Amino acid sequence: MRLRTILPAILCATAGLTGQTLAPTLAQAESLWKQHRYVESNDAFRALVAAHPRNAEYRVRWGRLFLERFNAPEASKLFNEALEIQPKRADALLGMALVAADGFEAQATHFARQALEADSHLVDAQELLARLALEDNNPAKAAEEAHKALAMSANATEAKAILATIDWLNDKPDTPWDPHEGAAYETAARIFVLNRRYEEGIKLFRKAIAAQPDLWSAHSQLGINLMRLGHEEEARTELELCYENQYRDAATVNTLRLMDSYKNFVTYKTDRTVLRLHKKEAELLHPYFEAEMLRALATYDKKYDFKLDRPVQVEVYPDHEDFAVRTMGMPGLGALGVTFGYVVAMDSPSGRPPGTFHWASTMWHEFSHVYVLNMTNFRVPRWFTEGLAVHEETAVSPEWGDRLDPHVIMAIKDKKLLPVAELDRGFVRPEYPTQVVVSYFEAGRMCDYIDREWGWPKLLAMIHDFAAGASTPEAIEKELGIKPEEFDRRFMAALTAETKKTVDGFDKWRDQLKEVAAEYKAHNYEDMIRDASAIRDTYPDYVETGNVYQFLADAYLAKGDKKIAIGQLERYAREGGRSPDTLKQLATLLEEAGNRKEAAEVLDRLNYIQPIDEDLHRRLGDLWLSLGNTAGAIREYQAVLAKAPTDPAASHFNLAKAYRTANRPDAAKDELLLSLESAPGFRPAQKMLLELSK
Amino acid sequence: MRLLLTLLLTAASLHATTYYVTVTGLGGEPDYEQHFAMWAKDIEKAVKTSPDSKVETLVNATREQVRATLDGIAKQAKPQDAFVLMLIGHGSFDGYEYKINLPGPDLTASELATLLDRIPASRQLVVDMTSSSGGAIEFLRKPNRVVIAATKNGTEKNVTIFARYWVEALGDPAADSDKNDVVSALEAFRFADKKTVAFYESQNRLATEHAVLEDTGKGEGVRAPSPENGEGMLAAQFPLLRIGATAMAAKDPAKLQLLAKKDELEQQIDKLKYEKAAIPPDEYKKQLGALLLKLAQTQEEIDK
Repeated sequence: MRLRTILPAILCATAGLTGQTLAPTLAQAESLWKQHRYVESNDAFRALVAAHPRNAEYRVRWGRLFLERFNAPEASKLFNEALEIQPKRADALLGMALVAADGFEAQATHFARQALEADSHLVDAQELLARLALEDNNPAKAAEEAHKALAMSANATEAKAILATIDWLNDKPDTPWDPHEGAAYETAARIFVLNRRYEEGIKLFRKAIAAQPDLWSAHSQLGINLMRLGHEEEARTELELCYENQYRDAATVNTLRLMDSYKNFVTYKTDRTVLRLHKKEAELLHPYFEAEMLRALATYDKKYDFKLDRPVQVEVYPDHEDFAVRTMGMPGLGALGVTFGYVVAMDSPSGRPPGTFHWASTMWHEFSHVYVLNMTNFRVPRWFTEGLAVHEETAVSPEWGDRLDPHVIMAIKDKKLLPVAELDRGFVRPEYPTQVVVSYFEAGRMCDYIDREWGWPKLLAMIHDFAAGASTPEAIEKELGIKPEEFDRRFMAALTAETKKTVDGFDKWRDQLKEVAAEYKAHNYEDMIRDASAIRDTYPDYVETGNVYQFLADAYLAKGDKKIAIGQLERYAREGGRSPDTLKQLATLLEEAGNRKEAAEVLDRLNYIQPIDEDLHRRLGDLWLSLGNTAGAIREYQAVLAKAPTDPAASHFNLAKAYRTANRPDAAKDELLLSLESAPGFRPAQKMLLELSK
Repeated sequence: MRLLLTLLLTAASLHATTYYVTVTGLGGEPDYEQHFAMWAKDIEKAVKTSPDSKVETLVNATREQVRATLDGIAKQAKPQDAFVLMLIGHGSFDGYEYKINLPGPDLTASELATLLDRIPASRQLVVDMTSSSGGAIEFLRKPNRVVIAATKNGTEKNVTIFARYWVEALGDPAADSDKNDVVSALEAFRFADKKTVAFYESQNRLATEHAVLEDTGKGEGVRAPSPENGEGMLAAQFPLLRIGATAMAAKDPAKLQLLAKKDELEQQIDKLKYEKAAIPPDEYKKQLGALLLKLAQTQEEIDK
């Protein structure tokens, strides 16, 4: 960054600032800032701006102070105010670009270009363009922009850092562009982290600190990334060092807080897994999560033909804010889960409204990343690893993955999908609010398409190509035998054909759904059944609130036709419906119809969606026991007991029954004693105790 | 002690009547009206199965209808009788006075207290499940009266869900946590409260109601009644609903000796549980197992 020259004489003037009544000068404010006397510097800027309300420069510099001190909204406000005074002020536009870049907003490039238009010698803006291009995984463009910056100033350190980073990313350690400066190494480290190459990023942060020991932002990022990889002790040391040295940005403070909260977590280990759960739900979730972790590992070992060399750690956060700390400063949604090499952090099902989160699907998604990232030594384009992970969600079970949602439909309709070679941009720097969601969908469908048309071995081969340093166009050409442009053409043709009915009929469907809802509300079931049936298959993926399946099921139930109602709800479940209430309703109807096995299967699905539900586990335990699945019954009854059940006596008794059926009389007797300890007069338990004591 | 009291109450209740009155107020919206009425009907269905019950259900009642009903019971009830009033709907609290919203003039907590005081039944239970119901406690509390409110004070003004789970408590055998075939007021309170808390947790919503119980006649109401805070003793002994045939055994003089033995064993179990922390786990398990087996054998004899 360009630094404003501070005259030594000003430093003398600053010393006498406190208590004086004269308005401070800009030099005094800058000097205080440079001395890390941020509060006084802020006061000085405030006084300056008050004394000179039409001075845009003061606002810009004050904004830069805010930006450095972790207050982007306030900085943005000041830059905007400066632009109101001087609409083409280059440093204000650069400020806006920096704020946008921090938030991975697409406007960053736009503002940086405007800044350059306003001042063609503004090296900082040119350097920022280079960085933004590299963040967008466009090294050619990044190099071009960096060379432009160097043409403007041979000492453009950030530009050198970008060129060096391109070489380092390409495994060329001996770059001529090594700037030998802490801040430059930090820039490189951040780019490596963005590329999920955490180990190398950590090495660069260390290099940055070695070059400039008081570079606290690098210390903070080193701590955060060490924590991401599970090196908690050193992470804490680094973060505490930042804190003690007044570097207290949200990421540093929140990560320290999160580490403090680890005392509330319980860790379970197997030879292949480490599972960290909050103690309030650990006992309940442990069997479900661990079983699924082991199942995913066993499946992927074969599928990816790759053996991980250490256990995978999964951290499950019931408080979404704690999970969010893990993804701070990262682009994209990071909404449900995130993978750092061998560490996966994810939301707990208890941290999300029931029915909105399929934790097992998320876990399999993240585990796919663990394999792909490690197989490629973290050299994989974002679109590919995300696409493959999305592909895996539905590969486990067709009902699992996310559905075609209205945002995606609109994006297809408006032709907003990106070519494969540019798809990374949709994840890192979205140009419209829902582009990240759309990009996940598109990448997933691309991998589905490759799997369908060329087969899984080609996807596997692409992973190895990326590991060897291939770019997206190179991997596509090599493995699929076509140019990326041809791939885009064929893929779009296939996707258009696949989604045509829904995309073309979406507007009409939306209008008709409103009519169906009105007819439902008016109990006009005959008309509703006719209209709902007519639109159901236009958009079969719509399984959210107010879906046609639920309307139809309710209408048929009102008419007394349970069989058709069951059929509608079964379709809802097949299409990926996740509402616990609706699935429980289906299970009840199936049970009433004598289809206990199907009812159990429906309830079992809920274990992957909302397992924190006593009623679910009790019902499923009863069903499994009646169907002779004693292992399943034991697991469900144990789940009931894991979280202080409403009826402890009956819950222990149920588990005793399951143990008895499993021919484990001692365990059964232990549970009976617990049941009777809670309710000594509980007749069924007394009866079994007498039988077991004979 | 616990069981002796239960037996005495059981015996007493064989000759006593329990009056149940359920009142639903204004819903304001069709959905609420429908739910309130449905819950009231479910309560009626459940309590009618209890022996010696007299049940009145007032859906969308006016103040005059409530007055008339309670006055009628005041004339019929005897001191050995029990009286249960359940209020469902919306309530309000202005900082001084609580009111349940009824068609026409509302009914204030102080008016209600006056009506209840006229009822001679010595054991009374008031379950106020409306919003702001915590504001009614100071008016309704009285020795020998259990007061349950869906909200901890008058300022919790959002619509409540507690009634839904109170109704469940009357229909779900799980509410009878000690499995003595009687759902006490305390058991029903704990069941409904636990379910209410779970509801907000499962929806990831901030809880806007916190049910409380007061049965000392002088307290503010507590979330978790216990010997430590002195609340819950009367509620534990208040048989809200009988769901089995335990009481019938007490009628047979031939079984009195067995009942006494059962009572003694249960006391020994209570004592052992109280001493649990001081006994090595294996020894505790052994002693508990032996006592429970004897109790089961005794019960088997009683059931013959």
